[in-house]
Amino acid sequence: MPDMRFAPPNPLRIADRAAGLNAVSVRSYNERLVLSLLLQKEATTRLEIGERTGLSAQTVSVLVRSLEQEGLVAKGPAQRGRIGPPTVPIVLNPEGAFSVGISIGKRHIDLVLIDFVGEARFHSRLPHPRTDPGNNHSRFLETIRAAITMLPETARTRLAGVGLALPRNETGERDEGIHALQEEIEAQLGISLFIQNDITAAASGESMFGAAKSLTDYMFFYLGAKLHGRLVLNHQIYNGNSALSFDVGIDALEAELSEREKPLEPLWDSSDDWSAYRGLIDGWEDGVVDQLKQSLAAVTQFVECETIILSSCVPLGIRQDICRKLQHSLPGVSAIIGKPTPSPKAVGAASLPFSSRFTVE
Amino acid sequence: MPFMSSDADWVRQLTSCFYYGITGWDMMRTILCFGDSNTYGQIPGQGPLDRYQLCQRWPGVLARELGNAWHVIEEGLSGRTTVRDDPIEGTPKNGRSYLWPCLMSHAPIDLIIIMLGTNDLKIRFNQPASEVAMGIGCLVHDINDLAPGPNAAAPEIMVVSPPPMHDDLKEWEQIFRDAPRKSRELALQFEILADSLEVHFFDAGSVASCDPIDGFHMNSEAHEALGSALAREVEAIGWK
Repeated sequence: MPDMRFAPPNPLRIADRAAGLNAVSVRSYNERLVLSLLLQKEATTRLEIGERTGLSAQTVSVLVRSLEQEGLVAKGPAQRGRIGPPTVPIVLNPEGAFSVGISIGKRHIDLVLIDFVGEARFHSRLPHPRTDPGNNHSRFLETIRAAITMLPETARTRLAGVGLALPRNETGERDEGIHALQEEIEAQLGISLFIQNDITAAASGESMFGAAKSLTDYMFFYLGAKLHGRLVLNHQIYNGNSALSFDVGIDALEAELSEREKPLEPLWDSSDDWSAYRGLIDGWEDGVVDQLKQSLAAVTQFVECETIILSSCVPLGIRQDICRKLQHSLPGVSAIIGKPTPSPKAVGAASLPFSSRFTVE
Repeated sequence: MPFMSSDADWVRQLTSCFYYGITGWDMMRTILCFGDSNTYGQIPGQGPLDRYQLCQRWPGVLARELGNAWHVIEEGLSGRTTVRDDPIEGTPKNGRSYLWPCLMSHAPIDLIIIMLGTNDLKIRFNQPASEVAMGIGCLVHDINDLAPGPNAAAPEIMVVSPPPMHDDLKEWEQIFRDAPRKSRELALQFEILADSLEVHFFDAGSVASCDPIDGFHMNSEAHEALGSALAREVEAIGWK
């Protein structure tokens, strides 16, 4: 028997210098651990990775070097403290991976291409969100292709996948159109497709790239046609069996405004200009705030929750008003405006391939 | 010449002793630099006793860059191999037999930097780059077995692949026949080994090259570049 200590080296990783992303199956649990940490924080250090994962400094060194060579992470400049050795931060390389996110809404489809730190490099909005087979798939696929061609040739191998965010299917039936679309995307473009509920996707985007990046426990709300909530505990998004939504959203406002014969286009056209409704939406805002308070009160019976994140497509001024009103009536609660733009749901959809390929569940 | 330091250096050293007196000498960390003539500081193209000054050699540069909290020990010997008895130069050139007592002499050691492999490429040993990497692996196992780190633990180990040789080795061409080609394979073979044994790795060829005057020794610019780069690598390890 040979002494197995002197067996040929069997590296933790494939020490090749080929460009592009490693195959999914090659990415080890430990590499995912490191990437998960980085997706939760702006920057980390090898010391911190070691402390949070329990891996030795030398193992962390091997993993980080591997991720560096793959172009997923990069070294930041050394930070010199007053005493002690300087720390060398490790950050995600924005060019390390890309992802396409598609959100299918009631009135339009949003499509984004994001980089590894969640910045949108491409955004397009398509009307007529029809998913029936053979309908406007070709235009849909063209738009995805257009997004991909935005990437330089060398970066196309770095596309992690396509995420699709779908609204809750009220009837509970399997949507054949979506299934056909998935097959078309995977067959024609050769890219994996990941599907998620749109509100959960928006929460996931917020947790990966947004205001919630460093938060562990909070309530996430999406204010769209209706108001939807998700509870996030220890970075886990709870989907729940009865994903409640409340009819205090833009639909409710639309009904109110149409009674007063106001133009309704600004509500949906993302012009970010609701000045036509000045003086008319105060009461609607109060309704949203009341619903947020009720949901928060219900949750805090069971868990401590001091932060809410409000994600929405309504104009920034309105989001600020709602957060301010909520904080005013609930001292001690911090209400934060969601960060991902231009479409929180589409950016959230684009975060799905990243979670699936680079993080630990 | 008893002291090389200027007055300003003395003040700084005394201040640092005072500082470490308060926080404890255990704050001081020790690095052992285990290598061959390119750690000894052999001047390219000159005689065997022509050596760069302490402050010019890469361990000296490393010490300067890391500052007073680090004790950097030089252990460079011209002709040193990883694990091989040299039939011409003699058994003292065997890195493996010397490493053990050397570690015991300097323990506790926080980090051992190994930069060897060039001499194993001499034609008398007739070894491919992968076997040289196996020799480095042997040293890593020996270090972990002896565990000369703090609290009798295994210390941190950094394997450094030497800068590749030039093709023109002048009068050394016969001794190093076919070695330049193999020397370009050392970085990858060492990295595979370092990944496999889970130790730190650095490719000296990424920041420094050999001087064309003899084709396989580093000049003072290369020492400066390597010492500075290794200081950044040492810091990046993340010390508590």
